[in-house]
Amino acid sequence: MGEAQKGLLSVIEKLKGSTEQEVRIVLLGLDNAGKTTLLKSLASEDVNTITPTQGFNIKSVASHGMKLNVWDIGGQRKIRPFWKKYLENTDLLIYVIDSADKKRFEETGLELSELTDEENLKGVPVLIFANKQDLATASPASEIAEGLNLHTYRDREWQIQACSAVSGEGVQDGMNWICNNIMNRKKRTSVKTDQDET
Amino acid sequence: MFGYIWQYVYTSFLRYWLKWFVRQATGKCELQRICSGFKPGATRTTKTEYSLRSSKNKVLRGALESSKDTLGQCVDQIMKEKNVKPQKDPLFKESLHTCLLQITGYGSLYISVEDLRKEVFSSENAEHEAMLLKLWDLLMPTVKLESRLTKQWGDIGFQGDDPKTDFRGMGMLGLINLVFFSENYTEEARQVLSHANHPKLGYSYAIVGINLTEMAYSLLKSGALKPHFYNTVHGAPGLRHFHQLYCYLAYEFDKFWVLEEPESIMQFNQYREKFHSIVRTHLQDPDVSLTLSIHPKNQQK
Repeated sequence: MGEAQKGLLSVIEKLKGSTEQEVRIVLLGLDNAGKTTLLKSLASEDVNTITPTQGFNIKSVASHGMKLNVWDIGGQRKIRPFWKKYLENTDLLIYVIDSADKKRFEETGLELSELTDEENLKGVPVLIFANKQDLATASPASEIAEGLNLHTYRDREWQIQACSAVSGEGVQDGMNWICNNIMNRKKRTSVKTDQDET
Repeated sequence: MFGYIWQYVYTSFLRYWLKWFVRQATGKCELQRICSGFKPGATRTTKTEYSLRSSKNKVLRGALESSKDTLGQCVDQIMKEKNVKPQKDPLFKESLHTCLLQITGYGSLYISVEDLRKEVFSSENAEHEAMLLKLWDLLMPTVKLESRLTKQWGDIGFQGDDPKTDFRGMGMLGLINLVFFSENYTEEARQVLSHANHPKLGYSYAIVGINLTEMAYSLLKSGALKPHFYNTVHGAPGLRHFHQLYCYLAYEFDKFWVLEEPESIMQFNQYREKFHSIVRTHLQDPDVSLTLSIHPKNQQK
């Protein structure tokens, strides 16, 4: 296949040859943000028969001796206390926001800022998907970024990407950002460990 | 590879000649042998379906696509094509008609279910809203809902303060199933809800229910439910039979969950898969019948 890969395969395609064998990405966000739809569309699966997530879903893609695991964890308030248990060894956080659910912007912002305080996510890059841009009532990504005070995040790489998990628009741009960031981060950590050793 | 070649040779040549030979020997066509050789149920109907589908005759294959009202005519045409004399085999006509009702009924049931699934829950639709409130009243008869948007919805297992976003890809099908279970098996539904609200072993009643609707839906879509419906419905299965199957899944899943005592709700998908494969194993049995042993309250004929 000469075509450029999409979704999860594109990530693995780009990352092959880098030292790490396993990459762990965690998808979080409030209920009804579109995490499972995003995961399914990344894995090129049907997004029309999705149901609310109880617990979590996981998709793994293995190729070129590498394994990419994406964890999609339910966003219901009742199970948010469990989020912490899934953060260890996370290489990248994807935080999904329903851009049309203005009433809950504050709630989603609080959850995100609590997450970034977690020890296990220290310095972990975060990609924020401003999802559901296909809806007429969706707020633009720039407005959401401002509301979340993203400009105050100085301890990590971050990016906000407008997207529609249903139509796929913007999703690949986000994935490309992810590839570049995981690669940079891996390089940096390996340089750092080299220095530590010498 | 050999199996593949054999399959090809068998279906394209051998099967035809074998059938011709047996027909000469017994004086009966394959359909007659199936209808008289097996008792009504999954084996008979599945074999009939296979026989019709692999037929070289357009009339026979066409019968699988015909509508309920024209089935009688189809049966007559098949009998004419196959030269079956009603005097010699008086039971054949009715048997074949029943098989065809079951086979084509399964297809139309899928269409009706798919229509309901695609119907999005809308707050502007008074019927949808009434049904949602009815679900609350059936499950929580002693507690009044304070307002339409309230955290109370969490008490019957919705995620937020408005259930409408939880129906997602299952649309009205999810809600109708929940209401059907609560209405026809009220005691059982409340019992399941009380298990779901257990502080340690609990799960979210409504969204697990919507998830089980998805299980029922995908089993139907894949054709896996055929033996169940062929065994339990003597004729065309309707929506009601599909809702009954959902009740079976909701009740049995709860029993399974309580028995397994999972560590937490985070293990849900693991146990769902386990339950799914148990159901699938049952469906491999030609005598399968996934029905609750409890009788529904408002049993209709």
